[in-house]
This record gives sequence, structure tokens and C-alpha cells, in this order.
Amino acid sequence: MATQENNDDRIALLQGTLDLLILKTLLLGPCHGQGVARMIQRQSEDVFLVDHGSLYVALQRLEDRKWIRAKWGVSENNRKARFYSLTPKGREQLAEKAGEWRRLTRAMGLILDASGGLGEEA
Amino acid sequence: MFRRKRTAEDFAAEIEAHLELEADELRGEGLSADEAQRKARREFGNVRAAQERFYLRGRWVALDKLLRDLRFGLRSLRQSPGFAATAILTLALGIGANTAVFSVMNAVLLRSLPVSDPDRLVYLRTSNPPRGTGTIDSNETFSYPVYDALRHEGRGLSPVIAYVPLSGSKVAVRYGAQPEEAEGDMVSGAFFSGLGVNLPLGRGFSDDDESNHAPLAVLSYNYWTRRFARDPAVLGKTFYVSGVPMTIVGVAAQGFEGVEGGGSTDFWIPLQNRRELNAWGNPPQDGKLFMTDSTWWCMRVIGRLAPGVSREQALAQLQPVFQTAAYVGLGGSPMEGEKRPVLSLADAKSFPGYDAMYGNPLRMLMAMVGLVLLIALANVVMLLMARNAARQREFSVRQALGAGRGELLRQLLTESLILVTAGGALAWGFALMATRLLGRWAQIETSLAPDRTVLLFTLGVLAFAGLLFGLAPLRVALKGRAELALKTSAATSNMDAGKSRTGRIIVALQMAMCVVLLVGGGLLVRTLRNLETTPLGMNVDGLVVFGVKPNIPSLAEGRAFYVNLLGKLRALPGVESATVMEERPGSWWSDNGDMQVDGKLPDVADGASRTVRSNVVGPDVFRTLGVPVLAGRDFADSDTAASPHVGIINEEFAKRFLSGLNPLGHTIGSDDGRYTMTIVGLVKNHRYRSIDEEPIPMAWYEYAQIPMVGSMHVEMRVHGDPLSILPAARKAVQQLDPNLPLIRPMTQREQFETTIAQQVLFARLAGFFGFLAVVLVATGLYGTLAYRVSLRTAEIGVRMAVGARRGQVVWMILKDSLVLTVAGVVIGVPLAMVVARALTSSLYGVKALDGMSYALAVMGLAVVALVASAVPAGRAASVDPMRALRTE
Repeated sequence: MATQENNDDRIALLQGTLDLLILKTLLLGPCHGQGVARMIQRQSEDVFLVDHGSLYVALQRLEDRKWIRAKWGVSENNRKARFYSLTPKGREQLAEKAGEWRRLTRAMGLILDASGGLGEEA
Repeated sequence: MFRRKRTAEDFAAEIEAHLELEADELRGEGLSADEAQRKARREFGNVRAAQERFYLRGRWVALDKLLRDLRFGLRSLRQSPGFAATAILTLALGIGANTAVFSVMNAVLLRSLPVSDPDRLVYLRTSNPPRGTGTIDSNETFSYPVYDALRHEGRGLSPVIAYVPLSGSKVAVRYGAQPEEAEGDMVSGAFFSGLGVNLPLGRGFSDDDESNHAPLAVLSYNYWTRRFARDPAVLGKTFYVSGVPMTIVGVAAQGFEGVEGGGSTDFWIPLQNRRELNAWGNPPQDGKLFMTDSTWWCMRVIGRLAPGVSREQALAQLQPVFQTAAYVGLGGSPMEGEKRPVLSLADAKSFPGYDAMYGNPLRMLMAMVGLVLLIALANVVMLLMARNAARQREFSVRQALGAGRGELLRQLLTESLILVTAGGALAWGFALMATRLLGRWAQIETSLAPDRTVLLFTLGVLAFAGLLFGLAPLRVALKGRAELALKTSAATSNMDAGKSRTGRIIVALQMAMCVVLLVGGGLLVRTLRNLETTPLGMNVDGLVVFGVKPNIPSLAEGRAFYVNLLGKLRALPGVESATVMEERPGSWWSDNGDMQVDGKLPDVADGASRTVRSNVVGPDVFRTLGVPVLAGRDFADSDTAASPHVGIINEEFAKRFLSGLNPLGHTIGSDDGRYTMTIVGLVKNHRYRSIDEEPIPMAWYEYAQIPMVGSMHVEMRVHGDPLSILPAARKAVQQLDPNLPLIRPMTQREQFETTIAQQVLFARLAGFFGFLAVVLVATGLYGTLAYRVSLRTAEIGVRMAVGARRGQVVWMILKDSLVLTVAGVVIGVPLAMVVARALTSSLYGVKALDGMSYALAVMGLAVVALVASAVPAGRAASVDPMRALRTE
């Protein structure tokens, strides 16, 4: 899918994490798609590469699930844009998904950080 | 789900907005306008791909695929219109015939009486009537005192309901000026309430209406629709029944047409006690009407089991009441050696007469159309298999290109869905039409409109067909594995399918079923021919008959009416002769009883019947009917009340009771000896009640001499078209009484034909279905053979290239179908024999094992097989070896 040239150390998003990132971004307030993309990129210190096509499909998917809602509005520089905002359901999902993610990263961290054990066995 | 929330345009607009926002931002970071825009676009990636993904996400993918499959299926069917048309028509015929016969069967045999809680309703039956009584039906009718006693003392039933027709056929009614005829019953006050029949308009009757003989009438929904165009204003209007004014007070629920099978009641009135409205339209007997004549068992009785009472309990409680009441007016107890009649209760869930009348023929028809359906389904399956085998390369290519088995299955099911839907829709229309025709031919007046049961039945058959058609060809389709596509030769890739043994077995079985249908159809058609050519013993050409039901205040006036009427009718131009009779021939009606011969009941050999069928007739009767008088004379105008009583008998009477004697001059009379007459004529045996009856002793009374006169039928022999005399006859009748319609006017031939109407219908349908089966089998065989020949084109080419002659090639193809035919006959004939044995009761003048019918059926099948193979064989013979080989 990634058609962009991948000449730096940015990494493609893991499956499923995009949803979580979108929800987290929208927690700060309503935002349009381009803003969400920028914000994710910026907040991850340009590590994450957001495929814009995937982003919009993900936005649509979240909207279908009623985790976020959207309406057309005007951006700060007077452009027409579609603004997304979190629904209460989306808020719940964010809390749940974030918890899951933390458990996952913690587990990953535990395994990866136990490098001593790994070396001993090898 | 079917409606997408967002359009693709909206999504595109959002992406456009994104690109602009991004470009704005990039410009803010110092890029030129052009560069910013380019970079924004590059950063976004593939816009189309995103849109595509949105498109797939946004709609219900399954539906989308289904629509695509449907379009594809339609396209691929359109490419072979011959196949599609054949398959759809075959299905429509097979399923339509089944739906039609099933809806008749459903309406006639399966549907319950349209009353509330029909399971608790019972018909009352008696083992036999007591001696000394007259009955309408010896097991099903009761006297008024019996009904009255059961109603008051029979606590097992609540309520007890009686009903009795005003006539054996129709009665004269009048609404407005024009007299007409309609079918009416007199009923208990509890009739509607007890049966639980709703009255959408007006009210039913009450017990008071019954005891007061209130002049009220309730119309059937059907009659209200037919005659009164559903005018709600009929309530309160006057409706004359046999000249007696009745007030219309209600209309009964739609679908309720009485509790008798076969006919449909047009109106109901409470039980009446007046001469004009005696039960069955009979004249008073010894001055008594049905209510007071306790020896006339003429009423039908139905009851509802009292709450909490089982049928056995009810019967136990009713039995003594019945057995006592049965002898009211008969001295209170049975004669010596006579057993008391026994009451029984019969299911009243559905129409009682129907099963006896139509049960067997309908079940037989259902079996026949079932066979037709099997043949039809097998045909379509074979067509599909052939078609899909020919498409094996298409399937192989599609599989090679990555189509999953699931995709192929879905595609096949979709195609079958299209076929089945189209066939089903056509079948439904066809069935509606056929049902109406069936109803008309069988003279079933009950509504035959298909209901939910019928719809479910049809949908069930369709679903089965759909699955069958989808799954059967799948095997063939999947056998074409992807690598097959790599084989370039059409001949080799089709090789496996060409050997399909399943197809041959199916054709052989179809042929077997075809033999069964042809034999069955043949036997019934021959039965029909026998019935139609049976000599009646009278000349029915030029005979017309109609009934009149005059108001007869006294015997003398009644006789005078008929003398006047005959005088007027004979004077009409074109009338050769005219007479009257109590019962018209060919109507199933007859008056049967014992008669005294020379002062005593005749001796008969053990077990033989003494029954004599009698009729009351007017002058010139045998000349009018065209029955030869063998000895003595016909009745004449000179036979009057004042002259000596005279009677006429038939050959069978003379043979049975006056064997070896000259019958003229002997005395015969009623079984109680109260009326006697001298035999003055002997006539040839002729058909009386129906076409398919055996001769029975008969005797005729002179109407002017017996102490009773009522409604009569007029027989007229006229020149030219018999029916053209009717307007003049109607005028003549109405000169005597403007209230009188002509009752059931028709030619005597038509009248006789009503007695075989059912056999005629049955035979015609059987013939039709036999024919249909033949056509289907021919189509199937042709399809299979043509397909096999086309697959073997290359092989045939090779054979011919190495020296096979055309004759040998033709023989090779014909042999193929010959083997199938022989197999079909070998299986089919024994099956047909079994079926024919089951048909025995419906046959007339032809045996179940009639060799001729079997020979014809086998020959018919052979001809069909030959015709169906001729075209493919011809095609095989004309194969050009060079061209066939070049296609390799």
C-alpha cells in the first residue's frame, strides 16, 4: 500500500494502531483529516508514516462504528473541511484500546528488555 | 444497510479539501504554490486507491457482488437464449401444473370448513333409517322429530344444527322484477352462531327466528358479490323465495358457502313451515310438510361438541335420545326383527362429500403432475449439466485466473436463481389460470383461489429446484481444474463430461416415467371415449330440458297447470313434442324403492335386489325421449285422473319380475299396495341416472293419476338448435305465472354429460399431462443426444477419416438412444402396471392391463426417441472429417 518512498527511518503503522492514534488525536478536540495526519506525524516526532488513503478509510470505518462523528465546517484558514470529533462511545473505546496497547507494549518490553537471559542461553 | 450514508463524491471532496489544506500548510512552510501542491499530492499517495477502498467499504459488499453475479448470470443466459427459454418454460409448466393441482387439492381436501374451531364440529350419521321411512340419504339425513329431540335433550352437543335444501337443485327467487334461480337452504336458528360463521354485514338468525319461521334471508358472500355487486343497501330489501317475501338481514363471511361439498349455497332462510317452502321442494305428502311428517328423514344435522365433552361421551349421551326419537310417528318401537338404527358422529373438519367425489382422482392427478415435475426438473438439470460441461473451459480459465470455488458456486447458484425466479413467476401465472379452468371443468363451485398453503408449497418446490440446479452442475464445473485450461483442444477438455453416466441414467428414468404417464393417460382417454360413445338408448339430439316449480295450492290446480303448460309448449313453432317428468334423466337423481307386482312384493333369489327405480311422467314421454316402445303404448293425453291407472315398465323389470310372461295387463303398485296400476307398455332399457350405469328395473307412473303433484322438469323435442326454443318457452311459462324462472335449462345431452364430467376432466388432464411428459422427455433426450454428438464431433471425424460410413455413424448415435429407450421401457412397464391397477376404479370399458394401451405407450416412446435422435444423428452424419479434425 505504501507508495511513498521510504528513504528515512519512519516506520509503517501496525495494523490496528491507526484507529487508536486517531481516537487519541481527536481527544484534544474536533479536527479534519489533514490535521489528524499532521498531528500524528508531529506528535510521534515524525517516526510514524501515515498513509493518507488508509487514514481516510479508517476515519470512515470509525464513523460507521459511531465512535466518531463528522460534519463539514470551515478551517482556521477559511478552507472547507470535514471535521471529526469523538463520540462518548469513541471515548470508551479509546480508554479500552489504550489499556490494551499499554499491556501489549509492557509485555513486549518485558521480553525485549530481558536481553541478559537471551544471551545466556545462546 | 442498503443505503450508503456517504456518497463517493463527498469522500472525493474531503480528499480534495485535504490536499488544499496540506498545500496551504506547505506554502506556510515556505514552498512555492506549485511545489506545495505537488508535494501534497505526493504525500497523500494514490487518491484513486483510497477512493476505491472507500467505495468497497461503504457499500454492502455481498449485495454488490450479488448484483454483479446477477448481471453476469443474465448476460451469460442471454448468450444462450434457447437454453434459457427451454429451461424456464419447462420449469413453468412443471411447477405450474403442480401448483394448480395442489391448489385444487388444498381447497377441496385439505382446507378446513371456514368456521371457528372446526375440530369440535361433527356430522350426525345413522347406520340406517327405521323401516317405514323415506329418506334423502339413508345414512346422512334425519327426521324433524329426531332433530327436535336431539336439540332439546342432547346435552352432548351444543348446539345441534339442522339444515335442509329448499330443492335438489335451485329454487325460484326474485329480487326486483326478473325471476331467477338460486341455491338456498333452510337452517336452524343456531346455524351461524353455532358454526361460528361471521357476518361482515347485518346479522344471522336466532332461535326465535327459527321457532317463528321468520321471513328472513342471509346471502352468501359469493352470491352477494355476483348478484348484488356487494351493495350494502340490500339489507332490509325484500327477496322472494318461491314467491314468499323474505327480508335480507345479513351477508355471511367470505368463503363460507355452506357445509356441503360440491355446491355453493347462495342464501339461507330459517326453517319454514309452509307449503311453498317444503324441504327439497317436495309437495306435501298426505298434507304433511317436513316438520310434521315424522317418517320423512330429510334433514342434515351437524353439531358442536359441548365444552369439555369428548366425542365418545357425547355419543353415549345422544344414543338413547336418538333411538327413541327415531320411532316417533312409527308406533314408538321397531317392528319385529328390526334393529334400532345406531347414531354415529363423523368428522366435520372439511367438506364431507368432497373426499368421496374428488379424493381419488385428485390424488392420482397429484401423483401424475409430481411425475411431470420430476421429469421437468431432471430435464433442466441435464440441460444445465450439458451447458456447464460445455463451459468447462470457461470455468477452468476463471479458476486459473484466481476465481475461488466459492465464486464459481455463487455464480452457478445465481444463474439457477434467475432461472427459478423466472420459471416460478411464470408458473404462478400459469397455475392461476389452470386452477380457474380446473374449477370450471370439475364444476367445483368452492373458491379455489390459492392461499398461503399453496404459496408455501410452490415456494418450497422452487427452493428445492433452485438448490438442485445450483449444486448438480457444480461437480462438473469443479472437475474442470485450472490446469485443464492449458489443454488447448476443446475436444480433449470436454472428454470427461462426454462420458457422464448420470445423464444416461436420468434419461432412462425419464423414459420410464413417460411410459407410466402414457399408459395412465391412454387408459383414461380410452375410458373417456367409451363413455362418450356409450349408447344411451334414447335419442338426445334435439332434446331440451328445464325445470319449473309452480305454486300449487291443490292437486287439481297443479294438474291443470301442467296440462295448460304442455298445451302452450306444444303449440310453439318448431316443437315436435313435449312432456313433463318429476326427475330429469342424467341428473344422478332417482327415486328407488320396492314395488308390488300382482298384489305382492316379487320373490327374488337370495341376495338379489328388489329395488325398482321409478319416475313420474307425462304423456308422450317415450316418443319425446326417443325411447323405443317394444310392446303396448306410450302414455297419452287420454290418461287422466278419471281414467284407469296405467304404468309402463322397462325390459329389465319384465325380465326380473315377470320373467317369461307377457307383461302387459299385469298390475304393479307402490310397496304398501295403496296405489296400483296396470302395465300398458314395455320400453327398451335406456340410461337413466347417468351414462355409466348398469340396467336396473324401472317403472313409470302417469303424473295426472297419482295423488301428488309438485315441481317438474319439462322435456321438449324441437327442430334445430334445442336451446333456441328457450326464450319462447320462458314466455309461455311466465304467461301462466310471472314468478317462474326456467330452472337449469340445458340440452339433454349436456345433462347426461354432467354425469361423466369428472371422468372427462380427469381423462383430459391425464391426457394432457401424458402429452406434456412426452414433450419434456423429447426435449430432454434431444438435448442430451445433441450435446453428446457435439462433444464427439472430433471422434466422429476420426472414425470417418479412417473409413466409417455415414450409416455406421448414424447407427452409433441411434443405438445410444435405443439402449436408453429399452431401459426406460423395461423399468416403465411394470411401474405402469402398478399404477394402472390403482386406476381401476376410474376406468370404464377398458381393463387395467389393456395390451393396446401399453403397446401404444411403448410405441409412442419409441417414436419420441427416434424423432429426438434424428436431428443429432443427422448432424453426426454430416460431420466433415477434415473440418472435425482441423478443429483439433
